[in-house]
Amino acid sequence: MNTTPPPLPAENATGAAIEEQLGRIQQLADQAASEGLYGLQDVNLLLAEALQENPSAAEAADLLTLLSTWHELINGYRHQPLHGTQALIEFLRHPQLKIPLTEDEFALLQEQLVTEPPCFEAQLPPTDDNTATVAARPEQETESGTDPASVPVSPVAQELVDLLLLESERVRTYLHSIIADDKNSVGTGLQQAQDELERLVNASVTAGFEGLAAICVHVGNNIQHFVEHLDSFNSARLDLLLIWLNRVTQYLSTFNEADAGQKILTGLTDAHPDGWIFPLPDEEVRSILAQMRTTSTTVGAQSEPARAQTASDDDVSLILPDDVNPELLELLLHELPGHTLQFSEAVQRLQFGGDNRDIELAQRVAHTLKGSANTVGVKGIAHLTHQLEDILIACAKARKPPGRALTGALINAADCLEAMSESLSNFSPPPDDARAVLQDILDWANRIDRQGLSALDTDATQSAARTNVTRTPETSKNPAPLESQKPRIRVASEHIENLFRLSGESIIVNSQALSNSRRMRTQVQAMQRQFTLLQQLADELEQLIDLKDLTGRAIDTSDQGFDTLEMDQYNELHTASRRMAEAALDAREISLDINKELTVLSEVLDDQQRLAIETQEEVMQTRLVAIATIAPRLQRSFRQACRLTGKLSELTLLGENILIDADTLNALIDPIMHLLRNAVDHGIESEEQRLLLGKPQIGAIVLEFEREGNNIKVCCTDDGHGLDYAAIRATALKRGELQPDQAISEEQLQQLLLRPNFSTRSVTSQTSGRGVGMDAVHAQIIAQGGSLILNSETGKGLTVTMTIPLPLSLTHALLIDTGGYRLAVANKGIVQIYHAGEAEAITEEGLEQLRLEGVCHASVKLDDLLHIPEQRRSQRPYGAVLLVKTQGQTTAVQVDALIDSQDVVIKSLGRYIGKIPGFIGATILGDGTVTPVLDLPELLRAPTRALDSFHAQPMIQAKLETTLPTVMVVDDSLSQRRALEQLLEDAGFKVLTARDGIEAAELLALNKPDLLLTDLEMPRMNGIELTAHIRTQNNRNSRLPVIMITSRSTQKHRLMAEDAGIDAYFTKPVSDQELLLEMQHLLEQTQDRGNQVA
Amino acid sequence: MQTYPFKTGAFPDADIPILPQPETAEETRVESVFAIRIGSQGFLVPADKHCEVLDKIAVNKLPNVHSWISGILNVRGNLVPVFDLHIVLEESLAHHGKRKLFAIGRGHEAMALWIDGFPEIKDRATLSPLHELPALPQTLQDFAVCGYRQDGQLWLDIIFNDLFLALGQHHHATEGMAT
Repeated sequence: MNTTPPPLPAENATGAAIEEQLGRIQQLADQAASEGLYGLQDVNLLLAEALQENPSAAEAADLLTLLSTWHELINGYRHQPLHGTQALIEFLRHPQLKIPLTEDEFALLQEQLVTEPPCFEAQLPPTDDNTATVAARPEQETESGTDPASVPVSPVAQELVDLLLLESERVRTYLHSIIADDKNSVGTGLQQAQDELERLVNASVTAGFEGLAAICVHVGNNIQHFVEHLDSFNSARLDLLLIWLNRVTQYLSTFNEADAGQKILTGLTDAHPDGWIFPLPDEEVRSILAQMRTTSTTVGAQSEPARAQTASDDDVSLILPDDVNPELLELLLHELPGHTLQFSEAVQRLQFGGDNRDIELAQRVAHTLKGSANTVGVKGIAHLTHQLEDILIACAKARKPPGRALTGALINAADCLEAMSESLSNFSPPPDDARAVLQDILDWANRIDRQGLSALDTDATQSAARTNVTRTPETSKNPAPLESQKPRIRVASEHIENLFRLSGESIIVNSQALSNSRRMRTQVQAMQRQFTLLQQLADELEQLIDLKDLTGRAIDTSDQGFDTLEMDQYNELHTASRRMAEAALDAREISLDINKELTVLSEVLDDQQRLAIETQEEVMQTRLVAIATIAPRLQRSFRQACRLTGKLSELTLLGENILIDADTLNALIDPIMHLLRNAVDHGIESEEQRLLLGKPQIGAIVLEFEREGNNIKVCCTDDGHGLDYAAIRATALKRGELQPDQAISEEQLQQLLLRPNFSTRSVTSQTSGRGVGMDAVHAQIIAQGGSLILNSETGKGLTVTMTIPLPLSLTHALLIDTGGYRLAVANKGIVQIYHAGEAEAITEEGLEQLRLEGVCHASVKLDDLLHIPEQRRSQRPYGAVLLVKTQGQTTAVQVDALIDSQDVVIKSLGRYIGKIPGFIGATILGDGTVTPVLDLPELLRAPTRALDSFHAQPMIQAKLETTLPTVMVVDDSLSQRRALEQLLEDAGFKVLTARDGIEAAELLALNKPDLLLTDLEMPRMNGIELTAHIRTQNNRNSRLPVIMITSRSTQKHRLMAEDAGIDAYFTKPVSDQELLLEMQHLLEQTQDRGNQVA
Repeated sequence: MQTYPFKTGAFPDADIPILPQPETAEETRVESVFAIRIGSQGFLVPADKHCEVLDKIAVNKLPNVHSWISGILNVRGNLVPVFDLHIVLEESLAHHGKRKLFAIGRGHEAMALWIDGFPEIKDRATLSPLHELPALPQTLQDFAVCGYRQDGQLWLDIIFNDLFLALGQHHHATEGMAT
């Protein structure tokens, strides 16, 4: 309802002021009407009418004084409806206004004001100068040409209305089928109409027509009475129902008008003989009317949350959540720079005449970024991209590039996104103007919501938009960087592998140089001894010559004329012997210098060795991660298994702070998860069973990690019922691997479980696949060169021990000779080394023992442990004894000779040589020879003998996933895809991924997944098109269950998706549990269908 | 250590025949293969794999492994396992003279096996494919893909990776230590 004020006397200034006030009040009334606040509209209209009563000049002056507080009162009501209502009513009661309302009417008005809670977020027009908000109103009215009291109907609302009209038509059809004189017809028709009316009630509630639903319930009560008392139903009452249905149709056609509710309520309160059995009470009428007025403004918009008006520091925060998933963060950091650049380029193109393709591209990138940021928990990027996406959608719908002002805002936002991306990668601090930019974008989004794109995006509005931006340079305080935000460099793992290998090679080469220098020193020392000897010989020779000379001279002295005491007389022999003695001395001096140089060289090589080892350790650090990093995944997978099986159980992790190689840890995840699911599904008993067995109500599963030499040992222990040996035996009999009368130990039965495709169950379960599946876990562990041991105690539980070798590392080792082999023995477990002479061999109860320092130890020869053939063995007695501690016992291990001890780099025996019990790997010695590195405790625990009679069979790579349901994930966001992939793999699904509908369709041609999860918006082919494509295919995938996961929460999107044939619709953020339960439900449905067909 | 990479065709010793370099498929549309002999058995190795004959390189023996695992080689810092298919196939060592070490692949993917004499280069197109493989030693049955016949010699395409993976698994008895 809009009233035009009559012209006011303009002869004086007071009159003009009154006229101005009147105009403002009129605007307030209009705005209240547009917001569905009809009570507020009424009070403004009452006031406007009062002002139009041509007051005298004195009265007008008083009125102006009084009116100066009106705007404040309206604001007060908007913020505090209860208190504000009272103030408004009191204002209207002011005697000068002379408003002709009775007390009852005032009470009714007051009630209306209270029952219409105003929108707190709504912006009031400023008191002094109207800005774009108010100025746009008349224009909007002109454009639409509609009554201001009627709210424009959104396409979504119209769809909902059409749905309800369809339902009401069905009710009408059943009523029309009634033949008034035929009781059967009346009974059936009324019952069917009643059933259909219930559907109309449900649909009305779902669509937000609460008032209509309430009326339908009331009419339904009447129909129920007619059904129960058929005599009371006659043709007049049939007409009554049909007339009411006509009013429903009228109401639905005009529900957005202010008085639309009146139409449908007409006649419902009447109580005459052929009228309603239960007329509608007056008090209900009022409340239903209020509901209907709310409906007129909210239908079609109820599922969209209100957009924020102001940006806060928290909204632009780049602080990562405490429980951030490092893998997803890595993915986000990986894709962020590319996406922000793509977004920036697209909006830059818009500045220079870009088209709708650029808008769509920018919108898609914003959508992807929003999803990724939400998944990781980076609020700053998620909020900004969310608003940007909405603005770009509005631009795309209008098929009109944004104007200069909006493009400027978008470019600012793109810059801000890039700055945020750099900040997250720790290249720069967070952008200072992030909050201001978000505020600007929010203002644009809100204006577009209210006034549409075309009304806003002009140069005139640029200033308005700009003035609303509050620049807050110091909005984001720089938080101390978290561990995950410390400076990082992304390096291809291949480079790290090479660096690691080279550092290992460097140690090996250095060892060779050290070894050479040692040998040289030994040789130089030998040479020194020879020089010393040479010098001694030279001295002796000299003495002999002197002696001979003296003797000679005594015989012949006459020739010279001098006595020997008068002059020394030398011959060539003297000279030669003297020169030789001097040369021997010089050579010895030189050899001493060489020895000194070699000592220095050895020291340099030692330093280099230490540096090389430190380098390798540092490189190793880049590959090491704490086991705790996978703890959340393990716990989540475990909780899901508990939920799916309905069992109560608790998982305890021990040793999760151990650091191990990332590749090894990744390779461990699948087998561990499978073990956990197995433990829950097959090990832990139900709550009732546990109580009956006297066990604690909650099952206990312990997962323990332990570093054992160069291996990581993982023990998964549950306190369930242990292995079912009878079932294993039965399966073995069925498979023909066991004869009915064949005796077999429990240990052998355990080994059977590890054989390919050996399963005690024939039915696949989602929790742990088809049966125990230990064969698959075993195959995975074997493929990594590890081993798997089962240890079950019936009724008490099962322990699965997996031992997996860690890649190349360093250990201190003893170099020994035995049986003609040179071997390196890791020092692990070696507590003492003795010379053979210190040991006394004794035999006690037929067992060989060695007495060492008065203590007897079990004795064993390494030749025997390694099954070295007799012909290779040394005939000499052993030379050294190693005292080794394992499993609480010490054993004396005899070896032929102890050669050296040194740090050795352990290398894997390679992909072709499987795990050899007792072997850690091999090392390259200083002379280039390769020698195995032994783990004596392991060798003592499980001495084995290699078999030569073996028929090579292909290694059966029993994949866990081959027995599990397959799910295809279709999403254009890498991080979203990866997050879902991880969730589903952890839950025990095999996962296929596709980037869009086209890729998914191509994959579907080759695969038959059991379920498909798809995003809605994707490039090339979206989720709705993909679903429609699947449903129209005449193949095995046409009935594939499809779940849509999207950020689109409106009914319109949901209906479109349902029309395309989806089975379930989830809006982000999605609860993992709800998603998995829905998936399980759909998979069970499919299985049931399959069983029925079978 | 002296190696003769077949890719380059460089053979420094005079008594070693210089083999022609395999021609590329683009040029002549032929598919070259290395033909190696192990006893009476002939095998083909695709020429696009890095292969080399290793000479004057010591095989480091390992204790307590299957007899067909001759040991480990140190090839430029990489540990390469050596398999003796003569033992696996129970082929005689006598009739083909000196054995050579033939390595297939690079780095940690490399594996080596003893072969009789040097490998030959053959064009697969010149070999007559067999529609059905003849009876093969049991060990080879799961790994032979197809076979060819030429001058009475059977040449087999073998998935060496899988064969050596199977042969490299340690199959043992847990009966304890030797006494």
